[in-house]
Amino acid sequence: MSVSSNKRQALLPGETGRVAGLLSAFILLLAVLPILTMIVMSFSGAANLDFPPSSYSLQWYRAAWHTFVSPDASDVLSLGQAMGTSLLVACLTMIFATLIAVPAAYALTRCEFRGKAVALQLMSLPLVFPMVVLGLALLLVFDSLPFQMTTSRLVIAHVILALPFVVKNCTAAMLGIGSEVEEAARMLGATPRRAIVDVVVPLMKSGILAGMLLAFIVSFNEFTVTYFLYTIDVMTVPIWMYSRTVSSLDPTVFSFAVLIVLIDFVLIWALEKLVGEGGVSF
Amino acid sequence: MTGLILENVEKHYGTACAVRDVNLHLPEGKLVCFLGPSGCGKTTLLRMIAGLESLSGGEIRLDGEDIGHTPAHLRNFGMVFQSLALFPHMTVGENIAYPLKLRGVGKAEQQARVVELLELIQLQAMIDRPVAKLSGGQRQRVAIARAIAARPKILLLDEPLSALDAKLRESMQVEIRQLQQRLNITTILVTHDQREAMTMADIVVVLGEHRVQQVGTPIEIYRHPANEFVADFIGSGNIFPATTLGNGRVGLPGGDTLEVPASHSVIVGEKIKLLVRPEDLQLSSPQATAGNRLLGKVTFVRDIGATVETTVECSGVSFTALNTPCQGMDLGIGQAVSVTIPAQACRLLSA
Repeated sequence: MSVSSNKRQALLPGETGRVAGLLSAFILLLAVLPILTMIVMSFSGAANLDFPPSSYSLQWYRAAWHTFVSPDASDVLSLGQAMGTSLLVACLTMIFATLIAVPAAYALTRCEFRGKAVALQLMSLPLVFPMVVLGLALLLVFDSLPFQMTTSRLVIAHVILALPFVVKNCTAAMLGIGSEVEEAARMLGATPRRAIVDVVVPLMKSGILAGMLLAFIVSFNEFTVTYFLYTIDVMTVPIWMYSRTVSSLDPTVFSFAVLIVLIDFVLIWALEKLVGEGGVSF
Repeated sequence: MTGLILENVEKHYGTACAVRDVNLHLPEGKLVCFLGPSGCGKTTLLRMIAGLESLSGGEIRLDGEDIGHTPAHLRNFGMVFQSLALFPHMTVGENIAYPLKLRGVGKAEQQARVVELLELIQLQAMIDRPVAKLSGGQRQRVAIARAIAARPKILLLDEPLSALDAKLRESMQVEIRQLQQRLNITTILVTHDQREAMTMADIVVVLGEHRVQQVGTPIEIYRHPANEFVADFIGSGNIFPATTLGNGRVGLPGGDTLEVPASHSVIVGEKIKLLVRPEDLQLSSPQATAGNRLLGKVTFVRDIGATVETTVECSGVSFTALNTPCQGMDLGIGQAVSVTIPAQACRLLSA
């Protein structure tokens, strides 16, 4: 029996000390600070951008709602139209990225082929490639084409950006599936393709869903590359919001931003619910 | 000829050889066991029979028909994998019904077959359970039921019991054997556990160093091993060098001679190996060397409760004798003892 052990108990692995706790709280605060600022600002009652606001009101929400239903003449596009484009592009990105990523993940885990390492590296290239350069490069490519693309070129760009996330999640899911279950299906009479559809894809389900939602979120929030590729009549919500702030900073965008953050939160919450803990890799 | 016939079956990976020149005839309705140490090619051979691995050479024929290049899903063989490979996203019933669904069997008929199989494996109540909720032994049974659901021509078992604990394994061995005999289905079992092979098999195929070493009934393999590899792999044995002297006698390194079964017609002066099973050796209080009785000294005693293993050194070689404790003589290390080696217990193996 030692008396001193009662005074100051040594930490066991997995227990958090006070310093570590404070540090974590500080870092978390840093992470949510922009969002908190934005939420506070959206309730501002003043007409300027002083922080903290001198008074509080719902005026910017009212203004936002007004813009949403009846855009003023200065806007080329209403937020409703931009929202429509954003959702369409995000959904198409999600579908195409998944259709590419699932077979890719299967091939990258099951098959041995020449240049597999190179293929893996290329897959994650969009993550490290400078966005501005990528946007510019895509613009040059699309402009050199003999035909006009509007929404479709946004979808193509977003698929490129979302693909690493989707492939990564699908590959992680594939790694957890032993080749024996697939072989078992074949022994039971399934053609190789049927075995993939009946056994591999259902077992990849959580990874695929995680990838799909990530693709949606990546596309929905994308700004830099989209900035190079949008046209005057086809723009996404982030571009629309930016266009409202270039000439004169309009606090309405804060109330829009709150809305968008809410949508993102719901999507991420859905992701966690669908996949469960530890299923998603960003 | 009916049954499964393997002719000159080979498997190479690049320059490495996994299975070399296998010729086997597996009769209908028998349980054949591929027994061998890990890495001997037994699983590769099974996978070639299953159609999951291509043949590098040779032929596989089933009832006269060449099936060597038929894809796995068209062979109609049932297989139980080492990991069992149950489908975790399906219930017990769905797992068992899967091969029937693939064959376009009607819903009602599927259901009837599933119920019949669950009765057979005594898991009627588990039909709607997800497979993750089953115990190891139950999962094992479901895997077997799924493998035989579509009435396969051959059942292949790839070390299916290796994940179970020792007690459950022993009872599953008996259960699988009884099921196999009841269904009278040709079965191939791959194992590295010779006790499992002895318990279950009609025919044991001993594989070693990528080739077939011996084919025979479990007792033949144990009593009459074809070579030193089999003698060494199956059971524990005293194997030591000897020289043939003719007239049914062999000389030991220490100069003593032993009488061996006369049926072994061997050239005089040939170097051979002699096998004596530990349970055939008899220990007695020291007496003069005479006949097949040698005088030796105890060098080690391993008393593990149920049996006592006594290592005795005599005539330049080490013998291990296996006795039950009540036969034991309470020997200590260094004590003198006489070892009797019955002539009919000696097996001569070419060196």
